Amino acid sequence: MMTRLLRAEFTKLFTTKLWLWLLLGAIGMTGLFVGLTIGLADSAGNPSPPLNTPEGQRNLFGVAGATSALAIVLGIIAMTGEFRHETVTPTFLATPRRGLVVTAKVIAYAIVGVGFGAVGILAELALALPWLAAKGVAVSLTGNGIPRTLIGVLLGLAVNTVLGVGIGALIRNQVAAIVGTLVYFFVIESLISALPTIRDYYKFFPGGASSGLANTYQPNVEFLAGWQSGLLLISYGVAFAALGTALTIRRDVT
Amino acid sequence: MSGQIVVSGLTKMFGPVRAVHNLSFTVAPGTVTGFLGPNGAGKTTTLRCLLGLVTPTAGTATIGGLRYVDLPQPSSTVGAVLEASSFHPARSARNHLRVICTVNGYPASRADAVLDQVGLLTVADRKVRGYSTGMRQRLGLAAALLGDPGVLVLDEPANGLDPEGIAWLRAFLRRLAADGRTVLISSHVLSEVEQTVDDIVIIDKGALVRQGNLGDLASQQGSTVVVRTPDPDRLVSALGRYDHRPGIRRRDGAVMVDGLQPAEIGHLAFLEGIELHELTTERSDLEDIFFALTGEGADR
Repeated sequence: MMTRLLRAEFTKLFTTKLWLWLLLGAIGMTGLFVGLTIGLADSAGNPSPPLNTPEGQRNLFGVAGATSALAIVLGIIAMTGEFRHETVTPTFLATPRRGLVVTAKVIAYAIVGVGFGAVGILAELALALPWLAAKGVAVSLTGNGIPRTLIGVLLGLAVNTVLGVGIGALIRNQVAAIVGTLVYFFVIESLISALPTIRDYYKFFPGGASSGLANTYQPNVEFLAGWQSGLLLISYGVAFAALGTALTIRRDVT
Repeated sequence: MSGQIVVSGLTKMFGPVRAVHNLSFTVAPGTVTGFLGPNGAGKTTTLRCLLGLVTPTAGTATIGGLRYVDLPQPSSTVGAVLEASSFHPARSARNHLRVICTVNGYPASRADAVLDQVGLLTVADRKVRGYSTGMRQRLGLAAALLGDPGVLVLDEPANGLDPEGIAWLRAFLRRLAADGRTVLISSHVLSEVEQTVDDIVIIDKGALVRQGNLGDLASQQGSTVVVRTPDPDRLVSALGRYDHRPGIRRRDGAVMVDGLQPAEIGHLAFLEGIELHELTTERSDLEDIFFALTGEGADR
């Protein structure tokens, strides 16, 4: 039963073009951040750690995690699209046990999030490794905590995609859910991470937990340990998914 | 009796609004039943309760004794067509059906089989965005037929269809009914389903108005005898002395008599020596009966 539901979720995803646009967006965004990180590395007044330090290299290889906003949007659209296009009616007619449907979506999109991150990491490696070699910066992908950063990016994107599914189940209006989430991540969390005193609590927010999980460095901001950040982020994902599932089971589909 | 639909004491409140109120009716297996009522009567809410999409405030709606959510193979038991817009605009018809095939474990070939059945096979790879209302309605039917269910539930399937589409739908539903399927089809226009249904369930303001056989309803409401005579006053006074006290109205110089057979009126006229120029039976129009029962024609 669950296998069939998972396969149906993948069929839904790959029979429209949305995944392709978001993936191209993620590749473009990753490329841009790699370009900025390496391109501006030697300019005066850059507060980022230099590329020959472990922190600098972790930050560079952690930029694929910056596409988490797109991963959340992917999750939101996966869920709200069902309501927006009323495909939730045939979906629930085929599977009246709605908890199973949302669970399948959560699992499917966790997998999709990992795939999304894997493509982003491949893109950043393809761009960064030759560039660093040309600049004469020695880099080993097995050292300087880079493996943990890459795993953190993958896990972070998986959880963020699930978070999006949960948000979409809670806020069924697609535009409202996307705009609200983007405002939260790009405005509210940016403020939280920038303002003195308040930024000490940034590590407890989803964005801060994602950064802590990938073990990246941000001036003046401290993150929780990797496993703590991971558990915290997963808790956010599970909480939103569970709340969204509970509401989806109870709400009438009219 | 696997295909029997039983709605029992069904009530649904949307906040303070009572959409369905203590509604009970049954649909016998193998019959085509029209579920009728004016817009806003609670038809869609009732059907959505039956299909597990809306949770009733009170009462139950079952198919073969089971709630929809408890059916072991819902799509193979009941096929439903709710509205013509439940498709992702950027997905093709074939892929829309394949998703449902995957969930239910049907072979992908079922998608093409039902597309052929509703005449959409040649446009199966077109995105639904480019489909007309009629094509969407057909795609909805195709989705409902994927599991070859014995029960079909259709909510206003004729809405938005052109006359050609309605004719196609009628013929299609008659074919489905001829296969022995139970069909429950809602409409706010009796004439849309009049030629297709055996039984009718009429609701208004969320409550049952009438359930029964369509033919019985027409004959129960009786017929009117139209009598034309050069001396209507004498006829009316003669009818007034009649034991059964028939209903008498005047219209356009004719006398309209309810509750008497033409032979009885002719006999009375013969005995009284009244000259008759016309003595005909006018069957009540079903649409008028529908309006009378639902009160929708009150201001007409």
